[in-house]
Amino acid sequence: MLNKILTILLITLLSNVNIAKSKVVNLPILSGVGGEFTAVDSNGNTIEFNSYAGNVVVLAFGYTSCADICPFTLGYLKQLYNKLSSEEQQKVRMLFVTVDPEYDTPEHLKAFLGHFNEDFIGISGSKEQTDYIVSLYQAEYNQLSALGIPTENIRRVQPKLFEDESEAEEDTATLFSHSVSIYLVDKDGFTRSVEYTGTPKDEFSAKIKQLINE
Amino acid sequence: MKNLSSSLLFFVAMLFSVCSHADIETKEFRIILAPAVAKSTAGYGVIKNVGAEADTLIDISSDAAMVMLHKTEINLGMAQMIHMPNIVIEAGSELVLEPMSFHLMLSGLSAEQFKQGETITLLLEFEKAGMIEIEVPIVPAWE
Repeated sequence: MLNKILTILLITLLSNVNIAKSKVVNLPILSGVGGEFTAVDSNGNTIEFNSYAGNVVVLAFGYTSCADICPFTLGYLKQLYNKLSSEEQQKVRMLFVTVDPEYDTPEHLKAFLGHFNEDFIGISGSKEQTDYIVSLYQAEYNQLSALGIPTENIRRVQPKLFEDESEAEEDTATLFSHSVSIYLVDKDGFTRSVEYTGTPKDEFSAKIKQLINE
Repeated sequence: MKNLSSSLLFFVAMLFSVCSHADIETKEFRIILAPAVAKSTAGYGVIKNVGAEADTLIDISSDAAMVMLHKTEINLGMAQMIHMPNIVIEAGSELVLEPMSFHLMLSGLSAEQFKQGETITLLLEFEKAGMIEIEVPIVPAWE
């Protein structure tokens, strides 16, 4: 009888350990991904990445002339951010690093990101700074083309008339290919996880909360 | 209540976007409300060929923006936009336009026209079915 009770107690204890373990995700430091950089934030201030130390950082690359994946990613990040309490949000910085700093000025980034959440921070700067950040995160980007009526396949049934050349100039957009990874960085600046928009938001937000509470 | 109203509005808008033209049907078309400073946005929906023969989408246009059919392809973690002219839709099959896949890229937006609740006229030209005009609502997609 005593043996039976001890067995039940042991099983119960082990079950609880397993339950407790399943709530904590293993998030090892990803060596060689991320690091210190200097850039310009969407308020026009020069920033060092370590100025975000003490906060969990979620970082993604993209550009504002991107029609599909970048707005979709920012929409995902908006929903992810909304899964955090206001206290947790104060301990998180959501960074969107543009790969098109020439067009995506700090002011433009601020206005664009504000559509999704006023708290989101745009990261811009020189091309050299962008290239360095991209290399730090082992990401990539390439300029594809300038979309200024680039192909004979565009035909308008009712052509849009430009009033002058300057308006026509504004109608062009440069397209880029770029990495779609979303980087989760801990309070000490170490990258701990690489996610993407396919990650369930509950799973991602749990990882953010885990790093907040480390 | 706000969510209910938004859902109802979205549902009505989706109904509004349903269109049938001989062998080609479109449904659930919508254009994403972009940030006011954006110069491009995406459109999504479904084009179905209910006929007995394949048909080719040879052009998409609008007087409100430049429109191109693109496909986002992700290879080794890199997203790339590929222009997809003259796409064939086989008999009985459908072309699904959705995020991170086939989509319409609309550029040269006019902030006055691209407001939530407004509609944009799109002209889809098919090799066999000819020109199809659809009214597409502008919706906030990421609420």
